[in-house]
Amino acid sequence: MAAFVPMRFVLRITCRIPVCPTGGARQASHLTSRVSVASLQTIPAFPPIPVTAWQQTRQGSFFNKLTAEELWKGVLAESGAGARKGRGKRTKRKFKRDLNRGQNVGEGRGGFLWPGLNAPVLKDGTLQSMSRRGEAEQQEVQAELVRQRDEWERRRKMKVKRERGWTGNSWGGISLGPPDPGPNGETYEAFDSRVIEVKSVFNMTAKEGRKRSISCLVAVGNGNGAAGFALGKAADRTTALRKAKNRAIHYLYYIERFNGHTIYHDIESKFKRTTLRMKKQNKGYGLHCHRAVITLCKLIGIKDMYCKVEGSVNLLNITRALFTGLVSQETHQTLANKKQLHVVEFQSERGLLPIVVASPKDGARSDPEVEDEIPNTRLHWDDVRAAQGTKRSIWAGVKRTIW
Amino acid sequence: MAALCTARCSFRSCSSVKNVQKSKHMFRRCNVRTLCSGTQDNDSAKPQFTDPAVQDILTRITGLDLQKVFRPIKQELKPPTYKLMTDEQLEKAVQAATEQAKKLLQMPPVLPERKPINDVLSEDKILAGMDTAKYVFTDITYNIPHRERFIVVREPDGTLRKATWDERDRLIEVYFPKEGRKLTAPLIFKEENLKMVFSQDRHEDVLDLCLVQFEPDSSEFIRVHAATYEDLDKQGKYELLRSTRHFGGMAWYLLKARRVDGLLVDMLKRDLLQDAVSLVSLFNMVHPHSESAQEAVSQQVSGIDLLKIYSQKESQRSGYIELALQAYEQTDTRSSAV
Repeated sequence: MAAFVPMRFVLRITCRIPVCPTGGARQASHLTSRVSVASLQTIPAFPPIPVTAWQQTRQGSFFNKLTAEELWKGVLAESGAGARKGRGKRTKRKFKRDLNRGQNVGEGRGGFLWPGLNAPVLKDGTLQSMSRRGEAEQQEVQAELVRQRDEWERRRKMKVKRERGWTGNSWGGISLGPPDPGPNGETYEAFDSRVIEVKSVFNMTAKEGRKRSISCLVAVGNGNGAAGFALGKAADRTTALRKAKNRAIHYLYYIERFNGHTIYHDIESKFKRTTLRMKKQNKGYGLHCHRAVITLCKLIGIKDMYCKVEGSVNLLNITRALFTGLVSQETHQTLANKKQLHVVEFQSERGLLPIVVASPKDGARSDPEVEDEIPNTRLHWDDVRAAQGTKRSIWAGVKRTIW
Repeated sequence: MAALCTARCSFRSCSSVKNVQKSKHMFRRCNVRTLCSGTQDNDSAKPQFTDPAVQDILTRITGLDLQKVFRPIKQELKPPTYKLMTDEQLEKAVQAATEQAKKLLQMPPVLPERKPINDVLSEDKILAGMDTAKYVFTDITYNIPHRERFIVVREPDGTLRKATWDERDRLIEVYFPKEGRKLTAPLIFKEENLKMVFSQDRHEDVLDLCLVQFEPDSSEFIRVHAATYEDLDKQGKYELLRSTRHFGGMAWYLLKARRVDGLLVDMLKRDLLQDAVSLVSLFNMVHPHSESAQEAVSQQVSGIDLLKIYSQKESQRSGYIELALQAYEQTDTRSSAV
């Protein structure tokens, strides 16, 4: 049986180069049968081959008989044992390409002009007949086509630089733009969404075993007190991000801020094993917090705050603790109404001047607030040590330009 | 700029009270000296800056705007503290703030310029040519007032003389440095720099710095104050100094120069009629021989009529003052009719 050296196929063109090795070169060719066939390596002196050797041609093969989709399915090999269970390598992935793009019915190598396909049917009222382009013109047209194809290829290959989140290669802190408009036409242009966490989670199923899915925690906010967060899960990352973003807009909280830049008072909120100690700061202090808390506060519209995360650092729990804590704040007006007393602010840079921030709506009561000499609050060991100066922290007095 | 703010900070921390006490003490001694030297009748008849009546009127026209007096100063910010108060506690807090404000608005003294010291203690020709530099001997005993310190200079030609006022100030600053005071005067007190600062409307900061740097009776102090008051009068920006401790000094300077028209017009513009009336009565007190004062005394008038007499007799901008008075009378009759 003649060992056929496999020939490289180009669509519909049969290969005219006679490549039938004979005699002693057979063993070598057998070994190198997979290597490039149409190479112009010099064939050692053999008995002269008659020029009119029989060439194999085919009019139809699997190439013509299958649709483009089926052919690509075979080339890409997406379903197979290698693709399942996460065994496929990322670098070996091939991409489908539409090869018929740019081709018109009627355009060909010959350069014929067919009225109705290439050329207009009626020109100045007269019916035109088939004609042919000149050679130079045809070459121009072909060159133009090649240039256009190269342009498309370049555009496709161009990599858009992805903005960096909290670190390179981390999806935390990346903005996804405003959420998609709703079914009744409502748009959420004022809202910005930010990814907090992207992680791949696994679920054991009966048929496949470990089934991978991506879970995304996304928070949305308009910078003016309205914010919310949601979790979205899907098999691929973009779908999961989209789901989370569109779900978050349905779970909004409104958070009151003091003077639009900070919280009303120090808050300590706990959710599961995560404790958040938030302290009110003055204007210009910045957000001295965990990076996730900074992202969330920017979405809410809080500009100055100190926050310490204690216990577990699970991002979902931090988010929930933050929102529950901020929602449970007591504004100055509610405090005044509850206690029936004026809430008076004393700023250290203004000396002894009292500034009335809130008055009870029914008028103040006459008996004053009972104040012990030693206030009955629970102190934190960290704060005590910082106040006494026994805390040795290299990060305490560091000067940063951004927080 | 930092220097200006530290000047204001140091005032808030009540170091100014000590300053005024010392200079008041010194001023009384000065006053005694002038009483002994000059003609007694004229000086005792003329009202001085420290007279209680004069001070009372000046404090009244200075006003007491708590928001302006307790402006935030430039310091490291801390979050504010909150207290829950009843109405009475709130009133007490406001009263305490007012007391503090009154202390902060205490006026710096206005003194005549100090006479130069030309006292030679001895001339020793033996020591002439001994050295090329002057020697200054200062008495640094701790509990002597600075005005009574002995500071003497031995010149290279052998004369032993008392140090001049400039040398005295400089050496006292060397041995007993004061917070905010520099050895050499800051360059802001030069003429061209003062012009630039006035164009930025920072007259109050300049006056605070000047108060810290110079003694109240030094020539520099009087020069800077005069320049500031002149600029304010020229531009009509009296509002910059209202509710500050320098307003009294400015009013006194303008009264002495008999140029109160600008200030009066400014008061009428801002509907401060009572202040205008007190200003005119003070004018009459200070210049008892002027026409308006004599008219007022003869006719025993008070209130708006004082203003009318003043505008007729003394002022150059009588038209505006009369218009304002007419408008006030109209509103008065309308409100009384209603």
